[in-house]
Amino acid sequence: MHRRRFLQLSSIASAALAAPPILRTAFAADDAITIAAPLPMSGAFAANGKYGSMGTSMAVADAGSVLGKKLSYLEIDTEGRPATAVRKIQEAMQQKKVQLFAGGILSSSALAMGAEVNKHQGVFFTTAGADEITGSNCNKSTFRWSVPTYGAINETVRPLIEKMPKAKRWYTITPKYVFGEGLLNAAKDVFKEKGVELVGNSYHSLDEKEFSGYITNAVAAQPDVLLILNFGSQSSATLRQAVNFGLKSKMTILVAWASGLEQFEELGADVSDGIYFGAQYWHGIDSPFNKELVAKVQKEKGINPNYSFAGAYIMAKLLSDGAKKGGSADGSAVIKALEGMEYDGMTGKETIRAADHQVIKNYYLLKGKAKAAMKDKDDYADIISSGQSFLSPEDAKCKMT
Amino acid sequence: MIYLFQLMNGIGLGMLYFLLAVGLSVIFGLLHFVNFAHGAFYLLGAYLCYALLQYGVGFWGALVLAAIIVAAIAAVVETGLLKRIYRLDHMYHIVATIGLALMIQEIVIIVWGPVGSSVPAPQALSGAIMLGNFIYPEYRLFVIGLTAVLAIVLWWVLEGTRLGAVVRAGSESTEMVSLLGYDINRINTAVFALGAGLAGLAGALAAPIRGVDPFMGVEALAVAFVVVVIGGMGSYTGALVAGLLVGIVQSLMTTIWPAGASLAIYIAMVLVVLVMPRGLLGRA
Repeated sequence: MHRRRFLQLSSIASAALAAPPILRTAFAADDAITIAAPLPMSGAFAANGKYGSMGTSMAVADAGSVLGKKLSYLEIDTEGRPATAVRKIQEAMQQKKVQLFAGGILSSSALAMGAEVNKHQGVFFTTAGADEITGSNCNKSTFRWSVPTYGAINETVRPLIEKMPKAKRWYTITPKYVFGEGLLNAAKDVFKEKGVELVGNSYHSLDEKEFSGYITNAVAAQPDVLLILNFGSQSSATLRQAVNFGLKSKMTILVAWASGLEQFEELGADVSDGIYFGAQYWHGIDSPFNKELVAKVQKEKGINPNYSFAGAYIMAKLLSDGAKKGGSADGSAVIKALEGMEYDGMTGKETIRAADHQVIKNYYLLKGKAKAAMKDKDDYADIISSGQSFLSPEDAKCKMT
Repeated sequence: MIYLFQLMNGIGLGMLYFLLAVGLSVIFGLLHFVNFAHGAFYLLGAYLCYALLQYGVGFWGALVLAAIIVAAIAAVVETGLLKRIYRLDHMYHIVATIGLALMIQEIVIIVWGPVGSSVPAPQALSGAIMLGNFIYPEYRLFVIGLTAVLAIVLWWVLEGTRLGAVVRAGSESTEMVSLLGYDINRINTAVFALGAGLAGLAGALAAPIRGVDPFMGVEALAVAFVVVVIGGMGSYTGALVAGLLVGIVQSLMTTIWPAGASLAIYIAMVLVVLVMPRGLLGRA
């Protein structure tokens, strides 16, 4: 075979292999109100997408019907790519007349999707983390349930510095895109305020899988704390390789933005023991709504809800509650109903701030525990602290469009 | 000093890449068959290692068994399906093996779920060694050593034995080998099983380093093809040189230009192909 033909065929084949589950799309009924879940159902973040899909469908099933119409659910595979996500959002809005969206795990996709949904005056609820989503790029259609990067750093790095005042040298590993930059900038601000030295940072690309080189860089800088600022399978890979390299015994390790229970399951207690993790959600949170949800998910699915599941569940629930409260499933009515809404959420009392559409809720610092100390198979971590840190809408530079 | 550390790390990484790619290269070189299921065999090897450990098989047993089971599955697939399409255009090879890869990936998701898992390194190799400031896991050292031994054994089998001579002759003229009384079908099956078994072994060896997840096969396939293209399609020595080159380039780049480290291996491939269109050691 000629090289040119070989390379041509190889690229076609690679593309086909990388995107297999396109065929798994659900459908939307015409006479129903549809909540679409644009999630990465394939690729590196597919596990998050899978649980997100389960959470959305359960919330839709629980709501049953809204305003006399059946609530239905449309799964959209974003493949974790902004361009694909936007194209599929366009199709859903124009061809299927969908107005309500809950999803967008990756910040790069979420920013693009929020802007697209806003063009057609729908509603987009997301769990993605970049400050810009409810900050400088905020818009009328976009809502965010998760604490953004600023809060994630302030509720993890700050308490850890206070806990370990002698740990003055920190090293960071950061993905080079909007989410990673947000975490890194927030961390630098806290370091400056607390007199901590950032002894080095390794940027990496969003498709990086091999982290041994970055870990070598980190070891050479001899830090007291390794702060891991990437997400999902990348943070698992970084942490696993850091533990392989024996860093656990040489320094404290903090993963600022963990994906919760699914990440602990992936890592196992041998890796996560002694590591600090920042988390949006933990099934052990002591709140009435969370206890209810945990019991329900255990009964129906036989598992404890994880972050992807719980985040997707609450977002879909808020969209259907918004439609109920607003008396219409039109974007503008739902937006109006959601603004300022207070409700009993999984992390306790949660409020949707009207000025920037950010949900005000707790963020958690967890510490992985040893296998021998686990009370059940999911008891991977203890909650060390929790709290709320948010920039004001003005400081986040939100000018609603 | 940091560059020296990265060089050492890159050699370790490169040996892993070699092991990942060599099976693909051997199958292409000897059978002229483009195997897009190579990544799926790697995936299967990793998950079989994981599963065998769960069932209480020791790590060393799991490693050997995973490679053997993958080779056996590959032999069955080759006999039942692939040998019928050897004579067809490469497009048919690609379509068939992509289908196979997708089936394996979906089966892995059905059996083990979409969430990945960690695989512990064997207790005896769970530590790390210190060379000044440089730290390196003992398990990775073991993988480098084992891969080096395998590389020598494989080279000797293919270049220095009668069996190797028959296999190489088969790649040039199947008729001649048949006339000499050898069953070419069985030789082809054995070569395919060997290539797939090496992918399975690479997967099993990689499991304690990178964990297992259902999408690891696609990533591995991309790296394997880069290594094969750089080294020269079908060239055994080329796979070794290219594996090391890719590992070292990637590792050094994590210090020089970290954000572009994973891109660097593709840039290296483009540069090599531009200057030497047949790859570093390619024949045709």
